Amino acid sequence: MRAIEALTKAPMAEIARSLRRRTVSPLELVDAYSRRIEAAGGLHAFITLPGERARREARRAERRLARGEPGALLGVPIAVKDLFATRGVRTTAGSRILKDWVPSRDAAVIARLRGAGAIIFGKTNLHEFAYGVSNANPWWGVARNPHDPRRSPGGSSGGSAIAVVAGLCAGALGSDTGGSIRVPASLCGCVGLKPTFGLIPLEGTFPLGWSLDHAGPLARTVGDAGLLLDVMTGMDTGRRARRTATRGLRVGVLRGPIIQKVQPRIAQQVDAAAAALRRRGLRVREISIPEMEWTVAMQLVTLRAEASAVHRRWIRTQPRAYGADVRTRLQLGALVAGADYVLAQRMRGRLRAAMGRVFQEVDVVLLPATPITAPLVGERTVRWRSGEEPVDGALVRLTAPFNLTGLPALSVPFGRAAGLPVGVQVVGQWMDEARVLAVGRLIEELAEA
Amino acid sequence: MTEREQLAAAGRAAGLRLTAQDVAYLLPAWKRYLGLVDELRAAMAPEDGDEGD
Repeated sequence: MRAIEALTKAPMAEIARSLRRRTVSPLELVDAYSRRIEAAGGLHAFITLPGERARREARRAERRLARGEPGALLGVPIAVKDLFATRGVRTTAGSRILKDWVPSRDAAVIARLRGAGAIIFGKTNLHEFAYGVSNANPWWGVARNPHDPRRSPGGSSGGSAIAVVAGLCAGALGSDTGGSIRVPASLCGCVGLKPTFGLIPLEGTFPLGWSLDHAGPLARTVGDAGLLLDVMTGMDTGRRARRTATRGLRVGVLRGPIIQKVQPRIAQQVDAAAAALRRRGLRVREISIPEMEWTVAMQLVTLRAEASAVHRRWIRTQPRAYGADVRTRLQLGALVAGADYVLAQRMRGRLRAAMGRVFQEVDVVLLPATPITAPLVGERTVRWRSGEEPVDGALVRLTAPFNLTGLPALSVPFGRAAGLPVGVQVVGQWMDEARVLAVGRLIEELAEA
Repeated sequence: MTEREQLAAAGRAAGLRLTAQDVAYLLPAWKRYLGLVDELRAAMAPEDGDEGD
């Protein structure tokens, strides 16, 4: 029993190996995770518990393992954010409106996970319709940070991050429209990868903003994130990342006004990571991207308009079926002028061009994933020397630029600030996940040293 | 017309059913939105100026 308990928090790759060697069975693992979920109920990580369905899948996986069938994730329990359609399992998108929706088909990415033998292990809590980063869900419970339950886990994939960090699953699936994988990964202390726009198919995923939405993994290690990426893309990027040399790579550490509003202890950790990379033979220099200054404006105008288009009918016919914060955002979106949306897209083009120039000079960019550590549940503003900033705006200020540009971005835990996890963000050129993961793996190694 | 009345009218024109409380929540968000759009417009102004009429 003790060995299984220890395995529940082990890297997913180790869990997959133990299953393959048959030192643990999928059913034993599923039962161990289910016990942990029950004990961690106050964190509100799940909307739909794995239950008997997961046990049935585990028994099936056990038979397949006995027959020696292939499958990179055969028998591995993967938790899924509750906006990916799962055949025969309620998919709420964290809403009251979809509380009874039982899809007849799996989302494309779920089908890929099942194809690799994964057990779909429950549906995790999220901000209502993924439209916010607090994960204070009015219908399914206020999700709480496993490091300190008085604090927010971040969102909108907060339930997935909690499940990974608290050892309630082997790995998890999330989505990211402004930072919804990387923000909770940073605040809870796990790895979160938002790959290049379009790399992971979104068919069967409830949309938030079509031009900004990405799916991606949350995991306990960078290697696990690479493994999940390979399963979800059908490519070998994670495997290639393990062979990618990092010595001599050019690292740009982001400077400029957008980085000035960062908690000093977080800034210190990013500098420490950069210094450690330099000692390992990477070429580190400082860079600035002035076009990032308009991130919040570009993101807000784009997302308000796109999300309002998704919810066009419901926000007009049943506005009371939404929680107050999401209702206000959607109503505001209904008032966005076409000219404003066009303006934001033109600025977005400038940002994309600026990023393209940056990646002629460096291979990866390094910056904090979030400028603050986990805020208290209900905290609404951050106080800086220069004034106040809404918490939700602050949390996505350093992640949203890479939704707007579609660049791959990874949050890796590196040290702590006042006892809370800090995420360092590694951003790469479009489709260069291998180098992002390779540098991320090195940062992970340096954090453990 | 007050700001609230203007916003309520814009909401009605967009087909929204806004209560007085909705408008109260929406007003600060709307003002912030307008401020951000102004920032974007100012940032794009040099380029717009180049385009001429």
